[in-house]
Formats: sequence, structure tokens, C-alpha cells
Amino acid sequence: MWDQLLNGLVIGNLYALTAIGITQIYGVAGVVNFAHGSVYMVGAYIGWMAIAWLHWPLVPAILLVLAGSAAIGLLVERAAVRPFARAGSTILLLTTIAAGLIMDNAAQIIWGPQTQALRSPLPQWQFKLGGGTVSFLDLFILAAGVGTALLLHLFLYRSRAGWAVRATAQDREAALQMGVDVNRVSSLSFAMAGAFAGLSGLLVGLYFNNIYPTMGASATLKGTTAALLGGLGNVPGAILGAYVLGITEAFSVEWLGSSFRNLMAIVLLIGVLIFRPNGLISARRALNPEPTAGTFIPHGRPLRFPRWLLPAVTVSAMALPLFLSNPYPLQVLAIAWVFGLMAVSLNLISGTTGQISLGHAGFVTLGAYASAILTSRLGLPFSLSLLVSPFLAAAIGVLLCYPALRLRGQYLAITTMGLGEAISLIALNWEGVTQGPLGISNIQPPGFFGYPIVSPAGMYLLAFAVLLIGVWVVHRLSRSHLGRALRAMREDEVAARAFGIGLARYKSIAFGVSAFFAAAAGVLLAHSYSYIAPDTFTFALSIQVLTMIILGGRDNAVGAVAGAVILIALPESIRFLGEFRFILYGLLLIGMLRFRPYGLFNSAT
Amino acid sequence: MSARVRFFSRIRSVSLASVVFTLLLTSCGISGTSTTPSDSAAQEAKSPVVIGVSGPLTGDNAEYGKQWRKGIDLALKEINANGGVKGRKLEYVFEDTQSDPKQTPAVAQKFVADSKIAAVIGDFSSPASMAASPIYQRAGLVQLGITNSHPDFTNTGDYIWSNTSNQKDDAPYLAALAVQKLNKKRLAVLYLNTDWGKTTTELFVGKAKELGAEVVVQEGYLSNEKDFRPILTKARDANPDALILISYYNDGALIAQQRDAVGLDTTVVAIGSVYSPQFIKLGGEAVEGVYTATRFYPGDPRPEVQRFVQAYQKEHNEDPDSFSAVAYDGVRILAQVMEQYGTDRKAIRDGLGSIKDLDTVLYGKASFGPDRRLQNPRFLPLVVQNGRFELWNP
Repeated sequence: MWDQLLNGLVIGNLYALTAIGITQIYGVAGVVNFAHGSVYMVGAYIGWMAIAWLHWPLVPAILLVLAGSAAIGLLVERAAVRPFARAGSTILLLTTIAAGLIMDNAAQIIWGPQTQALRSPLPQWQFKLGGGTVSFLDLFILAAGVGTALLLHLFLYRSRAGWAVRATAQDREAALQMGVDVNRVSSLSFAMAGAFAGLSGLLVGLYFNNIYPTMGASATLKGTTAALLGGLGNVPGAILGAYVLGITEAFSVEWLGSSFRNLMAIVLLIGVLIFRPNGLISARRALNPEPTAGTFIPHGRPLRFPRWLLPAVTVSAMALPLFLSNPYPLQVLAIAWVFGLMAVSLNLISGTTGQISLGHAGFVTLGAYASAILTSRLGLPFSLSLLVSPFLAAAIGVLLCYPALRLRGQYLAITTMGLGEAISLIALNWEGVTQGPLGISNIQPPGFFGYPIVSPAGMYLLAFAVLLIGVWVVHRLSRSHLGRALRAMREDEVAARAFGIGLARYKSIAFGVSAFFAAAAGVLLAHSYSYIAPDTFTFALSIQVLTMIILGGRDNAVGAVAGAVILIALPESIRFLGEFRFILYGLLLIGMLRFRPYGLFNSAT
Repeated sequence: MSARVRFFSRIRSVSLASVVFTLLLTSCGISGTSTTPSDSAAQEAKSPVVIGVSGPLTGDNAEYGKQWRKGIDLALKEINANGGVKGRKLEYVFEDTQSDPKQTPAVAQKFVADSKIAAVIGDFSSPASMAASPIYQRAGLVQLGITNSHPDFTNTGDYIWSNTSNQKDDAPYLAALAVQKLNKKRLAVLYLNTDWGKTTTELFVGKAKELGAEVVVQEGYLSNEKDFRPILTKARDANPDALILISYYNDGALIAQQRDAVGLDTTVVAIGSVYSPQFIKLGGEAVEGVYTATRFYPGDPRPEVQRFVQAYQKEHNEDPDSFSAVAYDGVRILAQVMEQYGTDRKAIRDGLGSIKDLDTVLYGKASFGPDRRLQNPRFLPLVVQNGRFELWNP
């Protein structure tokens, strides 16, 4: 009992270190920086090189890490943030993802993909507390976390530069008018955030004696959860959130089992946010104005093309299997159509309604599992399941999301990420129904009236047909009264409410329709893969679908499909690059956004 | 924005878009035209035989794909030095899939459409591999899974084969090692909660109970887990006399290290997947005295193993691990089948079923059984001593 409490505190200590960094960047830069985890990883590798290769003692190694990762932070700012600063903070989500992708892949090439041991040069001294131990490193991490938090606090509240940083975070335009050099402030914030990320990467690497190129992702997930629990931008809150998270996890391992650990962390997050939408420690009861709420992708210049082009492209896409005998491009495009369907459905939430959702994979998983279970257990034919499963998935999806719908902006985004993850964790743990980690195999191929559709051309046409239905329904919806209500919520929630739009109700309609088509995509994939497991549709998929609509342009079905085609076909078309493939992918992503920062196709409003 | 700037940005965006679309089109175009089968037999006789490899070279599982490649490179070098397959050179195309089920079907179609590909090796994880299996099965192209232990993997059809065991031999052997040879009666089993870990654990626990041991803790952990203190505390409180790890080497090393922090100092017995130089590199002193049983061990005195290990060390300057060994075996199995039965796709499938006494590193002389997996694996008990895996002779 006490031992588990101690375990919770020890791991909470590590979460706190990451959470402080994340909460600080949010406070000073107002963006959730998706490259944070990659800078964290690079910091760990810089420290590893200093300690394992150069045999430096810890303190100079830490200084090198601080300098090196601050430089990386600056580089990220110059390449992926500053050129897009005027285009709003959502585009930064995408450009920082791309920057992170480039760094992760470069790290795999430079240092190799395997895990490296990072032995702590600190004394191996430890003392016993009950049945557990606390080591010198644990205390060192605690001191580092609290120490840097204090330093940052002093900087922000006691220095002129800190003043400028705070002013810029509050209102960039106003700060600019008051003579603050906002570009320098932005550089400074990212350098500091980078230094902090690198330090936490090094210390967490030392704790686990273990670093690897993709280590950033899971660490920042925990850090973000802790920061959100405490309230974004609030340092004492982040520390408290981290310990609460650690202790909850330790006890859920004790009482429920280790597989429930992350599920309980998500339940904790949602439970806290329902009662305290701004986190555990929040000064104001009112919701803060969120930089992303309402300004999801500012308006840009729509791409004009002749009226006949769209029907022409559609017809030629439909006729493509007649001319193309090679199944490879057909398969790539068939997958692109299914992802196009996911993107179109996500667009209803994120483009039209302006709510960032990072949990779309959850809906896809729901649809896939519903159909796999209905067809293999209850013997439902595919044609019926394609209709029934999405309804089922949408109903469950809305029920799960409903408590989260009163959250806004980043809080909603992170919570949907948690929900998406929760759905696959339920699939993992509910073995009686889902067969747990074994997944469901031998799912029948799609087919109608006893005729299976197995040829690449058949799959292609089926996916394209379902995509067209999805586009048509979403298009009709967004042209209707409903679409106007959803757009009103996006532009101004308060004003929308004043006009009698029930926010939670309309958001659940948007989520419901969106979940329906995402689930339909899941049904198609489950039957064409023939095997699904809890890790078939991952968080990476949610991010990728979001990337598609940001690239394609907000609130625009054509853009969403184009985004899907580009992002699915691009990595296929640059296969000849081998390991460098995803570096070029990231560069091209940033390049495309550099020229169309509001997305390739964006709708005129 | 001035009209001039706007004009230029428009030009740039148009040109950028055209660059991207050209890339997309050329890729489809190239692969669309390059697949015309060569009907002239004379030409075919000179052209190389190609094996398609579908696996992770980037992403979370990249390190396993890299190990595969080292094993495959060595196998091909040896085969081609001995005249190749039926007088033709043997080559491979490694397509990176990140072990992602959205990319493996596309790669499968690419291989299927390419008449030069005689057979396919891969993919790594179950979701990625099994999403591609129906495509290989329908097209009649052999998919040889080299790391696929999922019990349903080979059930998709008669073109789906595997040279890895589905754990029905590994897990019971480990149970016998722990219960009979080490005489442990109260076992705490921690397993990686994936299809592999779950299957292995069930087989292990079944056998251990049959041999009279008691399983006091049986806990799965998530694949991205790093913090094992809570689960180890739980195991410690159940008072076991042995800790059983159904883990890969990365998480196995983490568990072994964190054991000390909660004061759990029982014997550790781990499944053969921990066998890797990485396990010792990452675990250090904490993995001293860990018992395991593997199908592959470089110190194995069998001549085929010694020959492989020496060749591998010469080629790559390091010891092979089990991932490079299965990949090496996979290529050599296909080469032996093609040499005897021909390089036609169907002939390879038939050959896999009829060939007897294949030369393999992991199994010695081996044949495929009715479940399309290699039969009768052999195991060696090992223990970590002084920072090395050593043969253990009880």
C-alpha cells in the first residue's frame, strides 16, 4: 500500500519534469508544440554522447544538453514556427509535427534505431523507505524540476525580457504595437522550451538507463496529461497533476492490473476535467480564451478551379480501374479513399465545428470491431454490417465523448486523444468480446449478396463509392441549417449560445455524424485487412487524418480528400529514398504549407 | 499582401503542387509500366531471382528491420558466392512499411504485380503482416513470416508460411526449465500484453501448472510501458520464488533493473526473445543470473551455428541476434526450395510443403509441418554470467 504510494511519487516525479516544460511553453508561446518530444529525444542523445563517448561528468554534460537542445529549439522556431506565425496556431500543430517527424527519422539514421544504454554517472546511493527505495537520481530529478521551475518563474516575473514574453503570450498584436520584438520573444521561448525538453529527456533517459529515437512520444503524452490535469500554463498545477497521475497509475496497477494503467489515467483526466474544466489549479472559474478555439485555420484565399473540373476528376477516378491494370496504384488509392472518408468526417468536427479532435482512430476502431464481431459472431452479412456497425459505433462514440464536449480548445483536443486511446485499451482489456491482444482474425472480405469483393479494382470502387456517399452527406449537412449552426459555434461560442444554439447538443450531432463515417471507414479496413487488433488503428492515425484536413484546407470536402490522397500517395511515391523517406515527407509538408498556409483548398467564407 | 507578391505566391504554389503531382504520377507510372513480364526464357535465365521483403526500416520497430537486413545480406552473399539459385543471382527488394497495416497491403500489391518477385518475407507485427496475407494468398505469392508467432498467421491460406514457432514449443520448454530443472514452485509471470505475449503466457502457465507449480501472479503490461515498479511491487507481495518474464529484450532489461528498487530478488527466468546482446548492454548487472532458453545461441557447438556466427561476425563485426538469425534462415529456406523446385511462385509453395531436411541455423535439419510452420525446434538453456550468455548445464 505505502509502497505503491512511493512508486506513484517516484514516477510522478518524472512526469512532473516533462509536464513543467510543456506547461511553460504553452504559457509563453500559446502552442502545444508537437516537436517537443523530439527535442526531448535529441537532448537525451546529446547527453548520451557526452557521457558515453566523451566520458564527461554529469554537470558539463547537462550544460551541453541545455545549449544543444536550446539550439534545436531555435531551429524548430525558425524553420517550422516563425514562417507560419501569422497563419494561426493550428497550422503550427502540423508544422511542428512535421519538424518532429524529420528529427525522429534523422535520429534513427544518425544514432541507429536500437535502444542505447545511458548509465547514470551519479553515485548509486539509495535509501530504503518501507519496502521500496528512493535513489539519489530521484532526488536529483526532483531538484532539477523544481529548480528550473523557480528559475523560469523568476525570469518571467522579475525580468524585462520575461515581461515581454508574457505580454506576447497574452496578445501578440498588442505586444507588437507596444514595441515588443515578438520574433525575438518567440525565439527566446522556443530556446528555453528546447533546453528544458532536452534536460528532461536526459534525466528520464538516465532514470530508465534507456534511450531510443522514438522515446519522445510516450513521454510527452504523460507530460501533457499531467499538465492538463493541473491546468495548462500553471507550474504548481503541472507538478500536482504529475503526482496525482503517478499515484493513480500505481494504484490502478495494484488493484486492476497493469493493462488498465493508461485507461485509468484517461478516466482520471476526463473525471477531473468534467468537474474542473481548467484543471485542478485554476485561478479563474471562467474559461480562458483559447487561441485555437474559434480560430481553427484562419480564412485564406480559396483555390479557384473551373466548375467542370470536379465532376471530371470524379468520373475519371471512377473509370481509373478500366485503364489501370496494375493493382499497386489501385490499392494505394483505395486506401487513400478510405482515409479520405476519415478526413471528410473529421472535417465536420475540426473544420466546420472548429473543435480539434485527436481521437479519430477511436471511432475507426469502434467501427472495425463492431463489424468484425457482428459478422463473425452473429453471422451478419457485410452489406448489412456496413450500415449497422457505423450506427452502433456512432452511438457508443457519442456516449463516450459526451462528457468531454463542454471542454474547449486544447482541453478538448487532448481529451479526445485520451478517448481514442481508451477505445483501443478497452478493446485490449475486454477479452471476452474482443479477444484482447489476439485481435480478431479471418474477418470475411467485403461483398454483397454472396459475391465477395476481393479484386483490387473492386476494393477501389467500393471505397470510392462509400467515400462519395460520405462527401455527399457531409456536404449536404454543412450547407443546411445544421452546418450554419456548427460554423457559428466555430466562430464564436458565446455568440452562438446567445442565438439559442445548444453547444453540447450540436457538438454531439457533429461528433455523431463524424463518428458514423469514421466507423464506416473502419468497417471497410477491417474487412479488407481480414485481421484487426487493438493496435491496428493508433494515435498516429488520428494525427495523420488531422494532418490531411489541415493540408487540404478547413471545412472543405475536396480539400480533405486531396489531403488524404497526397499524404497516402506521397510516402509511397518516394519509396526509393528508403530510410530518408519520412524526412523528405516532413520537408514537403512544411514546404506545401509554406506556400498555402491555410491549406491547399480552403473554402471562402 | 500586394498583388505582385500574391501573383508570385500563386505561381509558386502551382509549381509546388505540380512537383508533388508529378512525383505521384511518375511513381504510379513507373511501377505501372515496369511490370511487363519477360516471356523470353533466355532473358529470364540471366535475370536475377528477387525476394520481396516487407518490414520496418523506419518508425518504432526500425531496429528489428535493420537486424533482418543484416541477416538477409549475409545469406545472399553466401548463396550468390555459391552460384545463386539455379544459376541465377538471388536479390531482394526491401520495402519499408514501418510495420504499419495501412502500408503493408500496398506493398503486397506492389510485390504481387511485379513478376520478378518470386516470394515474400515479412512483415514484422501481426496487424501489419496479417493485413497483407489475404492479398498474397489470393494472388498466389508465398508470404514467409519470419517473426510471426500469432496462432492464426498461417491460417489465412496455403501460401502463408512461417519459419518461426507459434510458441507451442518455446513456452512449455521454458516452463519445464523453471519448474523441473530450477525447482521453482511459486511463479510470478509478467508478460507483454500483445498477441505474442498472451499466447506464450497461456501456454507457459498451462504447462507450469501441469508440472505442479503455482502461478501466484499473472500480469500483462502495455507495450509502451517503461515504469515497472508498481507491477513488481505487486509481484513481490505475492511472495514468488521465481519471476517469469515473457518479454522482449528492451522491456526485459528494464524490468530486471527496476526489480532492485522494490526489493524483489528472486531468480528470473525469461523467454528466449530476451536473447540479444542488447539485453546485457541495457540491463548490465541487473540481468546477471537470468535464465533463458533460446533456439539460437552463437556459442551453440553445432557446426551450422558456428559457421553462421563466424561469417556474421566477419561481415558485420558483431554477434548476430535471433532477429538476424531468423531472417538469414528465411532467405536460405526460400533459396533451397527454389533450387530444388524452381522459381515459379506456385512451385515455391508446393516446394515448401514437400521439401525435407532443410538446412537451418535455428532448427538444424528441419521440415514444414501441416500447420505450415517448421517442426521440432530445439532449445538451449542459457544463463547470464559475467556479462555474457553462457550455456547452462544443470
